[in-house]
Amino acid sequence: MSVETRRNFGTVRLPAGFNGLLPALVLIVLFFVIPVLALLLRSVTEPEPGLQNYAALLGDGTYARVFFNTFLVASVVTIVTVLVAFPVAWMLAIMPSALASIVFGVIILSMWTNLLTRTYAWMVLLQRTGVINRTLIAAGVIDQPLPLINNLTGVTIGMVYIMLPFMILPLVGTLRAIDPMTLRAAALCGASPFQAFRRILLPLSLPGIAAGGLMVFVMSLGYFVTPALLGGTSNMMLAEMIAQMIQSLLNWGLGSAAAFILLVVTMALYALQLRLVGARRMSGGI
Amino acid sequence: MLLDYDRMGWLKIALLGFTALVAGFLLLPVVFIVLLSFGSSRWLAFPPPGWTLKWYQELFADPAWLDAALTSARIATMTAILAVAIGLLASFALVRGQFAGREILRGLLLTPMVLPVVVFAIAIYAFFLRLGLGGTTIGFVIAHTVLALPFAIIPVATALEGFDKSIEDAAIVCGASPLEARLRITLPSIRIGIFSAAIFSFLASWDEVVVAIFMASPSLQTLPVKIWGSLRSDLSPVIAAASSLLVGLTLALMVVTALLQRKLRT
Repeated sequence: MSVETRRNFGTVRLPAGFNGLLPALVLIVLFFVIPVLALLLRSVTEPEPGLQNYAALLGDGTYARVFFNTFLVASVVTIVTVLVAFPVAWMLAIMPSALASIVFGVIILSMWTNLLTRTYAWMVLLQRTGVINRTLIAAGVIDQPLPLINNLTGVTIGMVYIMLPFMILPLVGTLRAIDPMTLRAAALCGASPFQAFRRILLPLSLPGIAAGGLMVFVMSLGYFVTPALLGGTSNMMLAEMIAQMIQSLLNWGLGSAAAFILLVVTMALYALQLRLVGARRMSGGI
Repeated sequence: MLLDYDRMGWLKIALLGFTALVAGFLLLPVVFIVLLSFGSSRWLAFPPPGWTLKWYQELFADPAWLDAALTSARIATMTAILAVAIGLLASFALVRGQFAGREILRGLLLTPMVLPVVVFAIAIYAFFLRLGLGGTTIGFVIAHTVLALPFAIIPVATALEGFDKSIEDAAIVCGASPLEARLRITLPSIRIGIFSAAIFSFLASWDEVVVAIFMASPSLQTLPVKIWGSLRSDLSPVIAAASSLLVGLTLALMVVTALLQRKLRT
Protein backbone atom coordinates (compact mmCIF):
# COMPACT_ATOMS: atom_id res chain seq x y z
CA MET A 1 0.00 0.00 0.00
CA SER A 2 1.46 3.37 -0.95
CA VAL A 3 1.89 6.26 1.45
CA GLU A 4 -0.76 8.18 -0.50
CA THR A 5 -3.59 5.72 0.09
CA ARG A 6 -2.60 5.09 3.65
CA ARG A 7 -2.88 8.80 4.33
CA ASN A 8 -6.29 8.85 2.70
CA PHE A 9 -7.51 6.12 4.97
CA GLY A 10 -6.01 8.02 7.88
CA THR A 11 -8.11 11.09 7.20
CA VAL A 12 -11.34 9.08 7.07
CA ARG A 13 -10.53 7.64 10.52
CA LEU A 14 -12.33 4.35 10.29
CA PRO A 15 -12.92 2.78 13.69
CA ALA A 16 -10.88 -0.27 14.65
CA GLY A 17 -11.90 -3.45 12.90
CA PHE A 18 -14.32 -1.69 10.56
CA ASN A 19 -12.43 -2.21 7.29
CA GLY A 20 -13.63 -5.77 6.83
CA LEU A 21 -17.18 -4.51 6.53
CA LEU A 22 -16.39 -2.28 3.56
CA PRO A 23 -16.83 -4.82 0.73
CA ALA A 24 -20.12 -6.04 2.20
CA LEU A 25 -21.39 -2.51 2.73
CA VAL A 26 -20.42 -1.44 -0.79
CA LEU A 27 -22.24 -4.46 -2.21
CA ILE A 28 -25.37 -3.97 -0.11
CA VAL A 29 -25.60 -0.20 -0.53
CA LEU A 30 -24.85 -0.18 -4.24
CA PHE A 31 -26.87 -3.23 -5.28
CA PHE A 32 -29.55 -3.44 -2.64
CA VAL A 33 -30.30 -0.16 -0.88
CA ILE A 34 -29.96 2.11 -3.92
CA PRO A 35 -31.99 -0.09 -6.32
CA VAL A 36 -34.77 -0.50 -3.75
CA LEU A 37 -34.84 3.24 -3.03
CA ALA A 38 -34.82 4.00 -6.76
CA LEU A 39 -37.78 1.66 -7.16
CA LEU A 40 -39.67 3.40 -4.38
CA LEU A 41 -38.95 6.73 -6.01
CA ARG A 42 -40.63 5.48 -9.17
CA SER A 43 -43.82 4.81 -7.23
CA VAL A 44 -44.27 8.55 -6.61
CA THR A 45 -42.86 9.84 -9.91
CA GLU A 46 -44.39 7.60 -12.58
CA PRO A 47 -46.33 8.32 -14.70
CA GLU A 48 -46.33 11.76 -13.05
CA PRO A 49 -45.24 13.08 -9.63
CA GLY A 50 -47.76 12.51 -6.90
CA LEU A 51 -49.40 9.83 -4.80
CA GLN A 52 -51.91 8.75 -7.44
CA ASN A 53 -50.45 5.21 -7.59
CA TYR A 54 -51.12 4.68 -3.91
CA ALA A 55 -54.58 6.22 -4.23
CA ALA A 56 -55.33 3.84 -7.11
CA LEU A 57 -54.07 0.79 -5.16
CA LEU A 58 -55.88 1.56 -1.94
CA GLY A 59 -59.08 2.88 -3.52
CA ASP A 60 -59.79 0.14 -6.04
CA GLY A 61 -61.86 -2.93 -5.20
CA THR A 62 -59.81 -5.28 -7.40
CA TYR A 63 -56.60 -4.41 -5.60
CA ALA A 64 -58.34 -4.48 -2.24
CA ARG A 65 -59.27 -8.08 -3.03
CA VAL A 66 -55.63 -8.95 -3.68
CA PHE A 67 -54.57 -7.37 -0.37
CA PHE A 68 -57.35 -9.21 1.43
CA ASN A 69 -56.39 -12.49 -0.24
CA THR A 70 -52.76 -12.06 0.66
CA PHE A 71 -53.57 -11.61 4.34
CA LEU A 72 -56.13 -14.40 4.24
CA VAL A 73 -53.71 -16.92 2.71
CA ALA A 74 -50.87 -15.88 5.01
CA SER A 75 -53.15 -16.19 8.06
CA VAL A 76 -54.57 -19.57 7.08
CA VAL A 77 -51.09 -20.90 6.25
CA THR A 78 -49.71 -19.65 9.57
CA ILE A 79 -52.51 -21.15 11.65
CA VAL A 80 -52.36 -24.54 9.91
CA THR A 81 -48.56 -24.58 10.12
CA VAL A 82 -48.60 -23.87 13.87
CA LEU A 83 -51.25 -26.53 14.51
CA VAL A 84 -49.36 -29.17 12.53
CA ALA A 85 -45.89 -28.20 13.72
CA PHE A 86 -46.59 -28.10 17.46
CA PRO A 87 -47.26 -31.82 18.07
CA VAL A 88 -44.33 -32.77 15.83
CA ALA A 89 -41.95 -30.41 17.62
CA TRP A 90 -43.28 -31.67 20.94
CA MET A 91 -42.45 -35.28 20.05
CA LEU A 92 -39.10 -34.34 18.52
CA ALA A 93 -38.14 -32.57 21.74
CA ILE A 94 -38.58 -35.68 23.88
CA MET A 95 -38.12 -38.61 21.46
CA PRO A 96 -35.19 -40.99 21.76
CA SER A 97 -32.48 -39.39 19.67
CA ALA A 98 -32.18 -42.24 17.15
CA LEU A 99 -35.84 -41.86 16.22
CA ALA A 100 -35.65 -38.07 16.26
CA SER A 101 -32.72 -38.01 13.87
CA ILE A 102 -34.78 -39.93 11.29
CA VAL A 103 -37.54 -37.33 11.48
CA PHE A 104 -34.98 -34.50 11.37
CA GLY A 105 -33.45 -36.14 8.29
CA VAL A 106 -36.83 -36.16 6.54
CA ILE A 107 -37.43 -32.51 7.45
CA ILE A 108 -34.02 -31.44 6.19
CA LEU A 109 -34.32 -33.47 2.99
CA SER A 110 -37.63 -31.78 2.18
CA MET A 111 -36.20 -28.37 3.08
CA TRP A 112 -33.19 -28.89 0.82
CA THR A 113 -35.17 -30.15 -2.13
CA ASN A 114 -35.48 -27.57 -4.86
CA LEU A 115 -38.50 -25.33 -4.29
CA LEU A 116 -39.79 -25.75 -7.84
CA THR A 117 -39.40 -29.52 -7.61
CA ARG A 118 -41.59 -29.67 -4.53
CA THR A 119 -44.18 -27.35 -6.05
CA TYR A 120 -44.21 -29.40 -9.26
CA ALA A 121 -44.87 -32.53 -7.21
CA TRP A 122 -47.87 -30.88 -5.59
CA MET A 123 -49.16 -29.66 -8.97
CA VAL A 124 -49.22 -33.24 -10.19
CA LEU A 125 -50.48 -34.75 -6.94
CA LEU A 126 -53.36 -32.31 -6.51
CA GLN A 127 -54.67 -32.31 -10.09
CA ARG A 128 -58.30 -33.24 -10.83
CA THR A 129 -57.04 -36.57 -12.13
CA GLY A 130 -54.12 -36.64 -9.71
CA VAL A 131 -53.10 -39.36 -7.33
CA ILE A 132 -54.93 -37.96 -4.32
CA ASN A 133 -58.28 -37.62 -6.08
CA ARG A 134 -57.98 -41.06 -7.70
CA THR A 135 -57.09 -42.69 -4.42
CA LEU A 136 -60.01 -41.08 -2.63
CA ILE A 137 -62.41 -42.10 -5.41
CA ALA A 138 -61.06 -45.62 -5.52
CA ALA A 139 -61.46 -45.86 -1.76
CA GLY A 140 -65.05 -44.74 -2.12
CA VAL A 141 -64.61 -41.64 0.05
CA ILE A 142 -65.80 -39.28 -2.69
CA ASP A 143 -67.66 -39.60 -6.01
CA GLN A 144 -66.43 -36.48 -7.75
CA PRO A 145 -62.82 -35.27 -7.80
CA LEU A 146 -62.23 -32.56 -5.21
CA PRO A 147 -61.01 -29.18 -6.50
CA LEU A 148 -57.60 -29.23 -4.82
CA ILE A 149 -55.59 -26.97 -7.08
CA ASN A 150 -55.86 -23.41 -8.41
CA ASN A 151 -57.66 -22.37 -5.26
CA LEU A 152 -57.06 -21.62 -1.59
CA THR A 153 -56.77 -25.33 -0.73
CA GLY A 154 -53.92 -25.83 -3.19
CA VAL A 155 -52.01 -22.77 -2.05
CA THR A 156 -52.48 -23.73 1.61
CA ILE A 157 -51.22 -27.29 1.12
CA GLY A 158 -48.23 -26.17 -0.94
CA MET A 159 -47.26 -23.33 1.40
CA VAL A 160 -47.76 -25.24 4.66
CA TYR A 161 -45.51 -27.90 3.17
CA ILE A 162 -42.76 -25.33 2.61
CA MET A 163 -43.21 -23.47 5.91
CA LEU A 164 -43.39 -26.50 8.26
CA PRO A 165 -39.60 -26.87 8.74
CA PHE A 166 -39.29 -23.17 9.60
CA MET A 167 -41.84 -23.65 12.38
CA ILE A 168 -40.82 -27.10 13.64
CA LEU A 169 -37.08 -26.52 14.00
CA PRO A 170 -37.19 -23.41 16.26
CA LEU A 171 -40.12 -24.84 18.27
CA VAL A 172 -38.09 -27.92 19.14
CA GLY A 173 -35.55 -25.59 20.74
CA THR A 174 -38.24 -23.82 22.77
CA LEU A 175 -39.79 -27.06 23.96
CA ARG A 176 -36.45 -28.62 24.87
CA ALA A 177 -35.70 -25.61 27.06
CA ILE A 178 -38.78 -26.30 29.22
CA ASP A 179 -37.93 -28.09 32.43
CA PRO A 180 -39.94 -31.36 32.59
CA MET A 181 -39.98 -30.97 36.38
CA THR A 182 -42.49 -28.11 36.11
CA LEU A 183 -44.95 -30.52 34.49
CA ARG A 184 -44.25 -33.24 37.00
CA ALA A 185 -44.90 -30.72 39.74
CA ALA A 186 -48.20 -29.81 38.13
CA ALA A 187 -49.21 -33.46 38.02
CA LEU A 188 -48.24 -33.94 41.66
CA CYS A 189 -50.39 -30.99 42.59
CA GLY A 190 -53.33 -32.70 40.95
CA ALA A 191 -53.47 -31.08 37.53
CA SER A 192 -55.05 -33.21 34.81
CA PRO A 193 -52.95 -33.65 31.64
CA PHE A 194 -55.24 -31.22 29.86
CA GLN A 195 -54.84 -28.62 32.60
CA ALA A 196 -51.08 -29.10 32.60
CA PHE A 197 -51.03 -28.59 28.85
CA ARG A 198 -53.19 -25.50 28.87
CA ARG A 199 -51.76 -23.79 31.94
CA ILE A 200 -48.09 -24.79 31.71
CA LEU A 201 -46.83 -26.36 28.47
CA LEU A 202 -48.68 -24.03 26.13
CA PRO A 203 -47.86 -20.75 27.92
CA LEU A 204 -44.21 -21.76 28.24
CA SER A 205 -43.92 -22.51 24.53
CA LEU A 206 -45.85 -19.41 23.48
CA PRO A 207 -42.74 -17.28 22.79
CA GLY A 208 -41.50 -19.90 20.33
CA ILE A 209 -44.93 -20.23 18.72
CA ALA A 210 -45.25 -16.45 18.39
CA ALA A 211 -41.79 -16.00 16.90
CA GLY A 212 -42.08 -18.92 14.48
CA GLY A 213 -45.63 -18.00 13.55
CA LEU A 214 -44.66 -14.43 12.80
CA MET A 215 -41.77 -15.63 10.65
CA VAL A 216 -44.09 -17.94 8.68
CA PHE A 217 -46.63 -15.13 8.30
CA VAL A 218 -44.02 -12.66 7.04
CA MET A 219 -42.56 -15.19 4.60
CA SER A 220 -46.03 -16.10 3.33
CA LEU A 221 -47.00 -12.48 2.70
CA GLY A 222 -44.31 -12.02 0.06
CA TYR A 223 -44.32 -15.52 -1.40
CA PHE A 224 -44.36 -15.72 -5.16
CA VAL A 225 -43.61 -19.13 -6.65
CA THR A 226 -46.03 -21.43 -4.85
CA PRO A 227 -49.12 -19.17 -5.03
CA ALA A 228 -48.38 -18.46 -8.70
CA LEU A 229 -48.30 -22.19 -9.53
CA LEU A 230 -50.87 -23.65 -7.12
CA GLY A 231 -53.26 -20.74 -6.74
CA GLY A 232 -56.06 -19.63 -9.02
CA THR A 233 -56.63 -16.34 -10.79
CA SER A 234 -59.40 -15.45 -8.36
CA ASN A 235 -57.14 -15.58 -5.33
CA MET A 236 -54.02 -13.89 -6.60
CA MET A 237 -51.54 -12.75 -3.97
CA LEU A 238 -49.63 -9.49 -3.73
CA ALA A 239 -46.24 -10.75 -4.92
CA GLU A 240 -47.76 -12.25 -8.05
CA MET A 241 -49.69 -9.05 -8.74
CA ILE A 242 -46.50 -7.00 -8.44
CA ALA A 243 -44.66 -9.29 -10.84
CA GLN A 244 -47.54 -9.10 -13.29
CA MET A 245 -47.76 -5.31 -13.14
CA ILE A 246 -44.09 -5.06 -14.02
CA GLN A 247 -43.63 -7.99 -16.39
CA SER A 248 -46.77 -8.03 -18.46
CA LEU A 249 -48.34 -4.62 -17.92
CA LEU A 250 -45.04 -2.67 -17.71
CA ASN A 251 -46.78 -0.40 -15.20
CA TRP A 252 -43.72 0.50 -13.11
CA GLY A 253 -45.46 3.23 -11.10
CA LEU A 254 -48.25 0.99 -9.84
CA GLY A 255 -46.00 -2.05 -9.45
CA SER A 256 -43.45 -0.22 -7.35
CA ALA A 257 -46.16 1.35 -5.18
CA ALA A 258 -47.51 -2.15 -4.45
CA ALA A 259 -43.94 -3.31 -3.77
CA PHE A 260 -43.50 -0.46 -1.30
CA ILE A 261 -46.66 -1.43 0.57
CA LEU A 262 -45.40 -5.03 0.78
CA LEU A 263 -42.02 -3.77 1.99
CA VAL A 264 -43.49 -1.58 4.73
CA VAL A 265 -45.78 -4.30 6.07
CA THR A 266 -42.99 -6.90 6.00
CA MET A 267 -40.42 -4.68 7.68
CA ALA A 268 -42.89 -3.60 10.37
CA LEU A 269 -43.68 -7.23 11.21
CA TYR A 270 -39.98 -8.09 11.10
CA ALA A 271 -39.23 -5.31 13.59
CA LEU A 272 -41.95 -6.70 15.83
CA GLN A 273 -40.40 -10.14 15.59
CA LEU A 274 -36.95 -8.79 16.46
CA ARG A 275 -38.42 -7.24 19.58
CA LEU A 276 -39.98 -10.58 20.47
CA VAL A 277 -36.91 -12.72 19.93
CA GLY A 278 -33.92 -10.38 19.95
CA ALA A 279 -31.71 -9.80 16.93
CA ARG A 280 -28.88 -12.00 18.10
CA ARG A 281 -30.98 -15.10 18.59
CA MET A 282 -32.65 -14.53 15.23
CA SER A 283 -29.43 -14.38 13.32
CA GLY A 284 -27.91 -17.26 15.24
CA GLY A 285 -30.89 -19.45 14.59
CA ILE A 286 -29.82 -21.04 11.34
CA MET B 1 -45.77 -35.94 32.61
CA LEU B 2 -46.34 -34.22 29.31
CA LEU B 3 -42.61 -33.98 28.66
CA ASP B 4 -41.84 -37.43 29.98
CA TYR B 5 -41.48 -39.70 26.96
CA ASP B 6 -41.75 -42.92 28.93
CA ARG B 7 -44.83 -41.98 30.92
CA MET B 8 -47.19 -40.44 28.41
CA GLY B 9 -49.38 -43.44 27.70
CA TRP B 10 -51.94 -43.15 24.91
CA LEU B 11 -51.02 -39.52 24.27
CA LYS B 12 -47.57 -40.60 23.17
CA ILE B 13 -49.02 -43.08 20.70
CA ALA B 14 -51.37 -40.46 19.26
CA LEU B 15 -48.61 -37.88 18.94
CA LEU B 16 -46.17 -40.38 17.46
CA GLY B 17 -48.78 -41.39 14.92
CA PHE B 18 -49.30 -37.76 14.00
CA THR B 19 -45.55 -37.17 13.71
CA ALA B 20 -45.25 -40.18 11.40
CA LEU B 21 -48.08 -38.78 9.26
CA VAL B 22 -46.35 -35.39 8.98
CA ALA B 23 -43.05 -37.05 8.14
CA GLY B 24 -44.89 -38.96 5.40
CA PHE B 25 -46.41 -35.70 4.17
CA LEU B 26 -42.94 -34.13 4.01
CA LEU B 27 -41.46 -37.11 2.21
CA LEU B 28 -44.36 -37.68 -0.22
CA PRO B 29 -43.52 -35.11 -2.96
CA VAL B 30 -39.84 -36.00 -2.99
CA VAL B 31 -40.44 -39.74 -3.37
CA PHE B 32 -43.31 -39.15 -5.77
CA ILE B 33 -41.20 -37.09 -8.17
CA VAL B 34 -38.52 -39.76 -8.35
CA LEU B 35 -41.08 -42.52 -9.04
CA LEU B 36 -42.82 -40.33 -11.61
CA SER B 37 -39.61 -39.76 -13.54
CA PHE B 38 -39.37 -43.50 -14.23
CA GLY B 39 -43.05 -43.90 -15.11
CA SER B 40 -43.92 -44.53 -18.74
CA SER B 41 -47.13 -42.47 -18.91
CA ARG B 42 -46.93 -39.02 -20.48
CA TRP B 43 -50.11 -38.09 -18.62
CA LEU B 44 -48.54 -38.53 -15.22
CA ALA B 45 -50.84 -41.41 -14.35
CA PHE B 46 -49.90 -43.03 -11.10
CA PRO B 47 -49.09 -45.81 -10.54
CA PRO B 48 -47.68 -45.77 -14.08
CA PRO B 49 -48.47 -48.53 -16.58
CA GLY B 50 -44.76 -49.32 -16.92
CA TRP B 51 -41.26 -48.18 -16.12
CA THR B 52 -38.92 -46.41 -18.50
CA LEU B 53 -35.83 -44.26 -18.81
CA LYS B 54 -37.11 -42.30 -21.80
CA TRP B 55 -37.67 -39.02 -19.87
CA TYR B 56 -34.01 -39.05 -18.89
CA GLN B 57 -33.06 -39.70 -22.51
CA GLU B 58 -35.26 -36.81 -23.60
CA LEU B 59 -33.69 -34.63 -20.92
CA PHE B 60 -30.12 -35.37 -21.99
CA ALA B 61 -31.00 -35.11 -25.68
CA ASP B 62 -32.12 -31.51 -25.24
CA PRO B 63 -29.06 -29.26 -25.04
CA ALA B 64 -31.16 -26.46 -23.49
CA TRP B 65 -31.46 -28.41 -20.22
CA LEU B 66 -27.76 -29.14 -20.00
CA ASP B 67 -27.01 -25.54 -20.89
CA ALA B 68 -29.29 -24.26 -18.14
CA ALA B 69 -27.73 -26.64 -15.60
CA LEU B 70 -24.22 -25.52 -16.51
CA THR B 71 -25.25 -21.86 -16.35
CA SER B 72 -26.74 -22.43 -12.90
CA ALA B 73 -23.64 -24.25 -11.69
CA ARG B 74 -21.37 -21.50 -12.99
CA ILE B 75 -23.39 -18.67 -11.44
CA ALA B 76 -23.86 -20.50 -8.13
CA THR B 77 -20.13 -21.28 -7.85
CA MET B 78 -19.13 -17.68 -8.46
CA THR B 79 -21.82 -16.50 -6.04
CA ALA B 80 -20.61 -18.88 -3.34
CA ILE B 81 -16.97 -17.76 -3.72
CA LEU B 82 -17.88 -14.06 -3.63
CA ALA B 83 -20.39 -14.37 -0.80
CA VAL B 84 -18.03 -16.40 1.38
CA ALA B 85 -15.10 -14.01 0.79
CA ILE B 86 -17.16 -10.89 1.50
CA GLY B 87 -19.06 -12.59 4.31
CA LEU B 88 -15.87 -13.78 6.00
CA LEU B 89 -14.41 -10.29 6.12
CA ALA B 90 -17.71 -8.85 7.31
CA SER B 91 -18.11 -11.49 10.01
CA PHE B 92 -14.72 -10.65 11.54
CA ALA B 93 -15.72 -6.99 11.65
CA LEU B 94 -19.18 -7.74 13.05
CA VAL B 95 -17.98 -10.12 15.74
CA ARG B 96 -14.73 -8.43 16.78
CA GLY B 97 -15.03 -4.78 15.71
CA GLN B 98 -15.59 -2.15 18.36
CA PHE B 99 -17.63 0.59 16.82
CA ALA B 100 -20.96 2.28 17.25
CA GLY B 101 -23.87 1.04 15.18
CA ARG B 102 -22.54 -2.48 14.86
CA GLU B 103 -25.94 -4.06 15.50
CA ILE B 104 -27.57 -1.74 12.96
CA LEU B 105 -25.00 -2.70 10.33
CA ARG B 106 -25.52 -6.37 11.12
CA GLY B 107 -29.24 -5.83 10.62
CA LEU B 108 -28.62 -4.03 7.32
CA LEU B 109 -26.46 -6.84 5.94
CA LEU B 110 -29.09 -9.44 6.89
CA THR B 111 -32.03 -7.51 5.40
CA PRO B 112 -31.89 -9.24 1.97
CA MET B 113 -32.96 -12.41 3.78
CA VAL B 114 -36.12 -10.76 5.08
CA LEU B 115 -37.29 -8.46 2.31
CA PRO B 116 -39.71 -10.26 -0.04
CA VAL B 117 -37.64 -11.41 -3.00
CA VAL B 118 -40.14 -9.96 -5.47
CA VAL B 119 -39.38 -6.45 -4.27
CA PHE B 120 -35.64 -6.96 -4.64
CA ALA B 121 -36.13 -8.74 -7.96
CA ILE B 122 -37.93 -5.87 -9.67
CA ALA B 123 -35.64 -3.29 -8.04
CA ILE B 124 -32.43 -4.94 -9.25
CA TYR B 125 -34.03 -5.74 -12.62
CA ALA B 126 -34.82 -2.04 -13.21
CA PHE B 127 -31.39 -1.01 -11.93
CA PHE B 128 -29.52 -3.47 -14.17
CA LEU B 129 -31.60 -2.52 -17.20
CA ARG B 130 -30.27 0.99 -16.76
CA LEU B 131 -26.68 -0.20 -16.25
CA GLY B 132 -26.86 -2.65 -19.15
CA LEU B 133 -26.25 -5.61 -16.83
CA GLY B 134 -29.66 -7.24 -17.34
CA GLY B 135 -29.41 -10.80 -18.59
CA THR B 136 -25.64 -11.00 -18.05
CA THR B 137 -23.72 -13.50 -15.96
CA ILE B 138 -22.13 -10.72 -13.94
CA GLY B 139 -25.58 -9.24 -13.23
CA PHE B 140 -26.83 -12.63 -12.03
CA VAL B 141 -23.79 -13.14 -9.82
CA ILE B 142 -24.10 -9.69 -8.19
CA ALA B 143 -27.84 -10.08 -7.52
CA HIS B 144 -27.40 -13.59 -6.14
CA THR B 145 -24.45 -12.54 -3.98
CA VAL B 146 -26.66 -9.89 -2.34
CA LEU B 147 -29.24 -12.60 -1.57
CA ALA B 148 -26.61 -15.13 -0.45
CA LEU B 149 -24.64 -12.79 1.82
CA PRO B 150 -26.82 -13.30 4.93
CA PHE B 151 -26.49 -17.07 4.50
CA ALA B 152 -22.72 -16.67 4.34
CA ILE B 153 -22.46 -14.28 7.30
CA ILE B 154 -24.68 -16.15 9.76
CA PRO B 155 -22.76 -19.46 10.00
CA VAL B 156 -19.33 -17.80 9.91
CA ALA B 157 -20.25 -15.20 12.54
CA THR B 158 -21.76 -17.91 14.73
CA ALA B 159 -18.60 -20.02 14.45
CA LEU B 160 -16.42 -17.01 15.15
CA GLU B 161 -18.42 -16.12 18.26
CA GLY B 162 -17.75 -19.60 19.57
CA PHE B 163 -14.01 -19.37 18.89
CA ASP B 164 -11.76 -18.33 21.77
CA LYS B 165 -9.79 -15.33 20.54
CA SER B 166 -7.07 -15.84 23.14
CA ILE B 167 -5.79 -18.79 21.08
CA GLU B 168 -5.16 -16.40 18.20
CA ASP B 169 -3.51 -13.93 20.60
CA ALA B 170 -1.31 -16.73 21.92
CA ALA B 171 -0.09 -17.43 18.37
CA ILE B 172 0.80 -13.75 17.99
CA VAL B 173 2.65 -13.76 21.29
CA CYS B 174 4.58 -16.78 20.03
CA GLY B 175 5.74 -14.74 17.04
CA ALA B 176 3.11 -15.15 14.34
CA SER B 177 2.04 -12.04 12.48
CA PRO B 178 -1.65 -11.11 13.02
CA LEU B 179 -2.47 -12.17 9.45
CA GLU B 180 -0.59 -15.44 9.86
CA ALA B 181 -2.41 -16.15 13.11
CA ARG B 182 -5.76 -15.60 11.46
CA LEU B 183 -4.92 -17.71 8.42
CA ARG B 184 -3.32 -20.60 10.26
CA ILE B 185 -5.17 -20.66 13.57
CA THR B 186 -8.54 -18.95 13.33
CA LEU B 187 -9.67 -19.94 9.83
CA PRO B 188 -9.02 -23.65 10.33
CA SER B 189 -10.91 -23.50 13.63
CA ILE B 190 -14.05 -22.03 12.05
CA ARG B 191 -13.88 -24.18 8.91
CA ILE B 192 -17.25 -25.81 9.62
CA GLY B 193 -18.85 -22.37 9.60
CA ILE B 194 -17.05 -21.44 6.38
CA PHE B 195 -18.02 -24.72 4.78
CA SER B 196 -21.69 -24.28 5.73
CA ALA B 197 -21.54 -20.73 4.40
CA ALA B 198 -20.27 -22.00 1.05
CA ILE B 199 -23.01 -24.65 0.77
CA PHE B 200 -25.77 -22.27 1.84
CA SER B 201 -24.68 -19.53 -0.56
CA PHE B 202 -24.32 -22.01 -3.40
CA LEU B 203 -27.86 -23.26 -2.77
CA ALA B 204 -29.22 -19.71 -2.35
CA SER B 205 -28.17 -19.07 -5.94
CA TRP B 206 -28.76 -22.55 -7.37
CA ASP B 207 -32.39 -22.62 -6.13
CA GLU B 208 -33.19 -18.99 -6.76
CA VAL B 209 -36.25 -18.50 -8.97
CA VAL B 210 -37.72 -15.03 -8.64
CA VAL B 211 -34.75 -12.78 -9.46
CA ALA B 212 -33.77 -15.26 -12.14
CA ILE B 213 -37.18 -15.06 -13.85
CA PHE B 214 -36.79 -11.31 -14.22
CA MET B 215 -33.11 -11.31 -15.14
CA ALA B 216 -33.07 -14.22 -17.56
CA SER B 217 -32.68 -13.58 -21.27
CA PRO B 218 -33.26 -16.07 -24.08
CA SER B 219 -29.51 -16.66 -24.22
CA LEU B 220 -28.94 -16.89 -20.46
CA GLN B 221 -31.27 -19.15 -18.50
CA THR B 222 -30.63 -20.82 -15.18
CA LEU B 223 -32.08 -24.22 -14.35
CA PRO B 224 -34.95 -22.87 -12.19
CA VAL B 225 -35.95 -20.53 -15.03
CA LYS B 226 -35.99 -23.45 -17.45
CA ILE B 227 -38.09 -25.53 -15.04
CA TRP B 228 -40.41 -22.57 -14.40
CA GLY B 229 -40.95 -22.16 -18.13
CA SER B 230 -41.76 -25.85 -18.59
CA LEU B 231 -44.09 -25.83 -15.59
CA ARG B 232 -46.11 -23.03 -17.10
CA SER B 233 -46.37 -24.63 -20.53
CA ASP B 234 -46.76 -28.34 -19.80
CA LEU B 235 -46.28 -30.78 -16.95
CA SER B 236 -44.14 -33.16 -18.99
CA PRO B 237 -42.37 -35.96 -17.08
CA VAL B 238 -39.08 -34.52 -18.39
CA ILE B 239 -39.41 -32.01 -15.52
CA ALA B 240 -39.72 -34.96 -13.15
CA ALA B 241 -36.49 -36.40 -14.54
CA ALA B 242 -34.69 -33.07 -14.15
CA SER B 243 -36.14 -32.68 -10.66
CA SER B 244 -35.05 -36.17 -9.64
CA LEU B 245 -31.50 -35.38 -10.66
CA LEU B 246 -31.73 -32.29 -8.46
CA VAL B 247 -33.01 -34.40 -5.56
CA GLY B 248 -30.10 -36.78 -6.12
CA LEU B 249 -27.63 -33.90 -6.10
CA THR B 250 -29.19 -32.51 -2.92
CA LEU B 251 -28.96 -35.89 -1.20
CA ALA B 252 -25.33 -36.20 -2.25
CA LEU B 253 -24.58 -32.71 -0.91
CA MET B 254 -26.35 -33.53 2.36
CA VAL B 255 -24.37 -36.72 2.82
CA VAL B 256 -21.08 -34.98 1.99
CA THR B 257 -21.91 -32.19 4.46
CA ALA B 258 -22.79 -34.64 7.22
CA LEU B 259 -19.67 -36.75 6.62
CA LEU B 260 -17.38 -33.73 6.46
CA GLN B 261 -18.84 -32.21 9.60
CA ARG B 262 -18.37 -35.47 11.44
CA LYS B 263 -14.82 -35.75 10.19
CA LEU B 264 -14.01 -32.14 11.04
CA ARG B 265 -15.39 -32.46 14.54
CA THR B 266 -13.30 -35.47 15.46
